[in-house]
Amino acid sequence: MHPSPAALLAFCDGEAGAGRSRRTANHLAKCERCRYQLRRIRSEKDELSAGAAMAAMDSRQGLAGVLSAIADWRSSPASAGASELRSRLRWQIETYFGSAAVSVVERPGMPAEELLGKASAMLDVFLGPAAAEAARDDVLGGLDSARWEARR
Amino acid sequence: MRETNLHGLGDGLGAAPRWIVACLGANSIANLFALYLWNAAGQAFSIQSSSDGTSALSVTAMAGVALWLCLVVMRSFPSGAQLRPAWMLFGFAAAAQAVSGVLAQLLGSDWVLNPLLWTGHAQAGITGHIRLAALIAGGPVRLALLAAAMLLVLRILRKFGFWVKPSATDWAVCGIVCLFTLCRFAEVGAASLTGKQIGVEDWTSLAGLPLLCVLCLEAMLLRQSVVRMGNGPISKCWAAFVCGIFLTGLAELAIWLIPHYSRAPLAIVESLARFLMATIFALAPAYQLAAQRQAAKPASSLPQDLATGVPAVAR
Repeated sequence: MHPSPAALLAFCDGEAGAGRSRRTANHLAKCERCRYQLRRIRSEKDELSAGAAMAAMDSRQGLAGVLSAIADWRSSPASAGASELRSRLRWQIETYFGSAAVSVVERPGMPAEELLGKASAMLDVFLGPAAAEAARDDVLGGLDSARWEARR
Repeated sequence: MRETNLHGLGDGLGAAPRWIVACLGANSIANLFALYLWNAAGQAFSIQSSSDGTSALSVTAMAGVALWLCLVVMRSFPSGAQLRPAWMLFGFAAAAQAVSGVLAQLLGSDWVLNPLLWTGHAQAGITGHIRLAALIAGGPVRLALLAAAMLLVLRILRKFGFWVKPSATDWAVCGIVCLFTLCRFAEVGAASLTGKQIGVEDWTSLAGLPLLCVLCLEAMLLRQSVVRMGNGPISKCWAAFVCGIFLTGLAELAIWLIPHYSRAPLAIVESLARFLMATIFALAPAYQLAAQRQAAKPASSLPQDLATGVPAVAR
């Protein structure tokens, strides 16, 4: 049976109990549909947390101003790159460690650079430097590499 | 660097877990078939002599495989890498088991191919000493090496936040192993009080039991860390160590209980349990290698969505 969206959200936030987390993680390892749902939930959470940071905007601008700010944020290459990098890093952590490891490694609102550093350190330690470098190449391939290399 | 360092891993090593599980399946089928034949023949013949030797050979061979895989994994971690000492200790533990098997089966036996028999040293009691060395290497020494390696792994996992308090079930399993250890010591104490001679094998087995308690405690902590990770190949690698250690405790318990309460053939049970343990310990480095192979695989060989790693919603 597929876990409910609420159960996936609790799993994503690390708020499900140990037993339920284990069951959800086992199910996620087998079910592509639920993994997709989980990624969607995480992506939406990221967007919401980024949106909260922008909430300081002048409220007098009204809905049009909010929508325009969101559109600007979505179209900004830096934000899209960070979101893409975050998704790729989550995928790597899920692939080598497991779905539950993502919630251990990634704190809510964690910048993509910090997640990259933490995931790189983990891959270095557990996979060895050569395999970790290969995994990192896959993560950074096609991204604005100069920018991310500079931040590594 | 990617090409040169990972080239040595070999292409077939990524599939090592599957091969090892296939070996376990074949061996289990052979053992169960022997058990079926024994039952069908009305338990008319002894299976002690027929199964003991083959079991030890298969266990030694699997320990050899585990040693080789541990060495390959260890070579992938340069000196100074945090996990290298742990893999070195796991390699030493596998080596201790393999050496113990070789010593017990070849040099410590009355087998015709034993070179000591040709030179006449066997009469001098050397084979007895060799058997004792084999028992110590495959028992307390191996367990101590495993315990030290597990401690290093637990430290690293703690550093990365994979540290959870043990659950009641974990404490219960540990309690059973500790209780079993106390029972064994009490049994030996009572026997020595009545003037019964305690064999070297018993003393060696007893020496390993406190180490088994420590290992169970470590395995319990590692199990929680594995649950916190999920189901990837790296967590499967550590889960294999956890299973191997719990099975070691369970096998010790079963081997002690069976002669007391059951007429099941101990040789077959022991043979199955020892091969199962050796296989599970070999699976751990195999999963580690599978993870490394997976990372080394060029992105172009993966399906497009997986290669980019970007779910549609994030694009």
